[in-house]
Amino acid sequence: MDEFQEILQDFLVESFELIEQLDQDLVELETRPDDLELLNRIFRVAHTVKGASSFLNFDVLTHLTHHMEDVLNKARHGELRITPNIMDVILESIDLMKALLHTIRDTSSDDGIDVSGCVVRLDKCTGGKGDIETPAVKPAAAAKEVVGEVEVVEEESTKESSSADEPDYDNMGAEELEAEIERLLQQRMAEDKAKRASKQSAACDDAKDEESDEEEYEPALNVPVAVTPARRPASLRDDSDSSDDARAASPAKKQSSVEQTIRVDVKRLDHLMNLIGELVLAKNRLIKINDDVEERYEGEGFLEELNQVVSIVSIVTTDLQIAVMKTRMLPIGKVFNKFPRMIRDLSRELNKKIELEIFGEDTELDKSIVEEIGDPLVHIIRNSCDHGIEIPEIRLEQGKSETGTIKLKAYNEGNQIVIQIDDDGKGLDVEMLKRKSLEKGLITEKEADNMSDKEAFGLIFKPGFSTATVVTNVSGRGVGMDVVKTNIEKVNGIIDIDSEIGIGTSMKLKIPLTLAIIQALLVGVQEEQYAIPLASVLETVRISKDEVYTVEGRSVMRLREDVLSLVHIGDIFEVERILDSSEYAYVVVLGLGTSKLGLIVDTLVGQEEIVIKSLGDFLKGIEGIAGATIRGDGGVTLIVDVVAIMDMAKHVKATALIDTTSDAAMLTHEKTKASDYAVMIVDDSKTDRMIMRKALEPLGITLVEAGDGQEALSILKQGDHNFDAMLVDIEMPRMDGYSLATEIKKYNRYKNLPLIAVTSRTGKADRMRGVESGMVEYITKPYSADYLMSVVQRNINFRSEFLK
Amino acid sequence: MSDKLKQIIKKQTQKENENLDHADDVVQLVGFIIGDEEYAVPILSIQEIIKPFPWTRVPQVPKYVIGVFNMRGAVIPLIDLRLKFGLSPKKHNEDTRFIVMRDGDDIAGFVIDRLTMAIRIKNSNIGPAPDTASGDDTAIDGVGKQADKIITILKVKKLLQRDF
Repeated sequence: MDEFQEILQDFLVESFELIEQLDQDLVELETRPDDLELLNRIFRVAHTVKGASSFLNFDVLTHLTHHMEDVLNKARHGELRITPNIMDVILESIDLMKALLHTIRDTSSDDGIDVSGCVVRLDKCTGGKGDIETPAVKPAAAAKEVVGEVEVVEEESTKESSSADEPDYDNMGAEELEAEIERLLQQRMAEDKAKRASKQSAACDDAKDEESDEEEYEPALNVPVAVTPARRPASLRDDSDSSDDARAASPAKKQSSVEQTIRVDVKRLDHLMNLIGELVLAKNRLIKINDDVEERYEGEGFLEELNQVVSIVSIVTTDLQIAVMKTRMLPIGKVFNKFPRMIRDLSRELNKKIELEIFGEDTELDKSIVEEIGDPLVHIIRNSCDHGIEIPEIRLEQGKSETGTIKLKAYNEGNQIVIQIDDDGKGLDVEMLKRKSLEKGLITEKEADNMSDKEAFGLIFKPGFSTATVVTNVSGRGVGMDVVKTNIEKVNGIIDIDSEIGIGTSMKLKIPLTLAIIQALLVGVQEEQYAIPLASVLETVRISKDEVYTVEGRSVMRLREDVLSLVHIGDIFEVERILDSSEYAYVVVLGLGTSKLGLIVDTLVGQEEIVIKSLGDFLKGIEGIAGATIRGDGGVTLIVDVVAIMDMAKHVKATALIDTTSDAAMLTHEKTKASDYAVMIVDDSKTDRMIMRKALEPLGITLVEAGDGQEALSILKQGDHNFDAMLVDIEMPRMDGYSLATEIKKYNRYKNLPLIAVTSRTGKADRMRGVESGMVEYITKPYSADYLMSVVQRNINFRSEFLK
Repeated sequence: MSDKLKQIIKKQTQKENENLDHADDVVQLVGFIIGDEEYAVPILSIQEIIKPFPWTRVPQVPKYVIGVFNMRGAVIPLIDLRLKFGLSPKKHNEDTRFIVMRDGDDIAGFVIDRLTMAIRIKNSNIGPAPDTASGDDTAIDGVGKQADKIITILKVKKLLQRDF
């Protein structure tokens, strides 16, 4: 049974690969019915599937493919011309074949799908006299087919390798044949086993289509390197007049682009990508350390060397990252391939004449993104066919060519891939869109009036919106375009629509190259930092507070010609306002398609390459947070989900930018005894600290010591004590007295904390600086204990009754 | 011959069972204090115990999820068990620890007030959770009786379950 499973697995992988190419070929066949090479290739697919399935006892599948083969065989020998009607039947049978294969994959049997109707139609194509064979295929017949397949293969492959000595099948007896089949099958199984080891879990949806069809056909030959002939040109452009060219070109191409490829498990690539991610983090850290070292040991000789190493590491890391990203890239043609068939079906169904032109199918995208954009594109193209392109009569009336054109383009633009879908249909009617949305209650009258054309186009992405007056089989069921938007946004992409009535509609999907590593703008709010994907940042501006206006309870500002609505990042993320907000704020202008939002932040930290990490199951789905990243210093920074923020901004209540009553933290506790008073002594000299302690101890107040500014700051932040005053030395390592004072004054709750400088610096400039940084008193060393005591007493409002 | 064989097999299985019994007999737990109570979790569900270090606050979550931290490249949620159990918040001090617990793919760090010790306790000394706190909702797995005290054994699976 195991062996059977193995064979089955191989059969499925092979069949799915074959079918992927098949659709493409069939549509092409319709335009070039005489192309013998195409016909042969299609015939061989049917044949291969038939052979293999009969061997595996999938009677229904065999039955179906047998009849397909009949039709194709006739066409191949010129006895039958492929008309659109015949093509419909063939396509139908291919669909059935796919359905059967899916059933087989899921249930290991091909029961449950009725093919008789299709078989009858297929027979009609061959002239109605095709014998209706019972599904039970005689073993001998099946065996013969297998041999037939092998023959075809060997004939082909000898072109590439002449190592095979071909047994003379024609002169073999039935038993000899059986034996030969047995031998070939065993050989194949052995090889398949080896092959499987290398591509074990690579499922059939993998990047295999790049491998050759031919290779899959070669069961018994030892061709060590996978040969990759050119894939069929996916574009249908100029089909009618250049079919001869194409035919002549394709065999030549086959020889020229022989590439060497290796199949690699996607999991391994993912793992590699993760490792690179770690490396990028380490690199960021190294750069940060380098900056620190540079600052501390300015001008020393080894710095240059260190600098060089750091830059080499960072360059190599970036290159490595790009290289690995490239290995994960797939040509977008993989997605585009299915559209010619789709357009063909749709145009017949809708009685329209539609031509699809594909450009840039070689443009590459990350595998995970390629998988995500398939469905959205299907929706968009269906929409264009159904609502965009008019029926031929109307087109002629309007002086357009009878045949509508849909252009599908993919190209690189900076760090993004742009997929553009243009149609020359009727275009989007802004007024109609607004009216519809109003009717369905998606927008208010007021919103409609204020809406720009671009915003109105965006209405088609609203859930529950459908412009089709008649709901067709193809689209207009109220789902679709909003799903498109969600899917595209899932991969951090944006959609841009342009349209002109009577001329056509153009949609641009802008999608980042990769998902794992992005450029981000780091912003600070109070003591926290957040990362905003740079792709969504349009610009940053510094504003002063009086540039912010309030309109209907919302903050807005004027940005050149536009009015930009504003929201404070702190309001969205419930950030506690500990720090005093400065006079200026920064506005990060976020853009997503047509909508814009100004996000107010306290500081701009800088641009950094960040690796997106998931927050895990426990924290997934937090509104406004897309993930987290690990920074150079080992800390975690959260990544802003711009899409969600745009939405949240509508509901967040704007708190006034200027805080006037935030001093709630400054609750003065009633002092009941001397030790309720707390004073911090900050001095790097232990002796000095001791002298101050001795001078103040008689008061009976609580004294806390800190060795430098940093320590003092962290003691303050811990909030274990409610300090009434601080004695600050100026000359200190790590953080001197001035900087400490400046830092402390940033906090709202310490704004009124008296800072007393105790220093041996006596210059006037020093005093001035002290005042500037917020010191209230300036005691010069040496001082008398009594003097110090009295200054402290005065500043903490010490109640005299506590004096012993 | 077959009888003999059967006997041998029987003996072997008995022996194995004894071994199993022996291993089954004792559970190893790690005890810790939250507030005034001592709690414990199975030692095998603990990935590591670390001293507190900086974490990043996460918005829009219940108070007891105090943020996320970086453990060798992985971003891990941090949950304050004091807050989760409805106690008042407390400043971290030198006894405070993060216990990183894992159950399958679920992983999180938990802030505890103080570690006590590794405990070996006999299965027979573990009673069920009190009736008032049983059912699917409770985080209590059972109650471990020791010579001088009672330890609440917590369900790691439940602790790691998102309940918001």
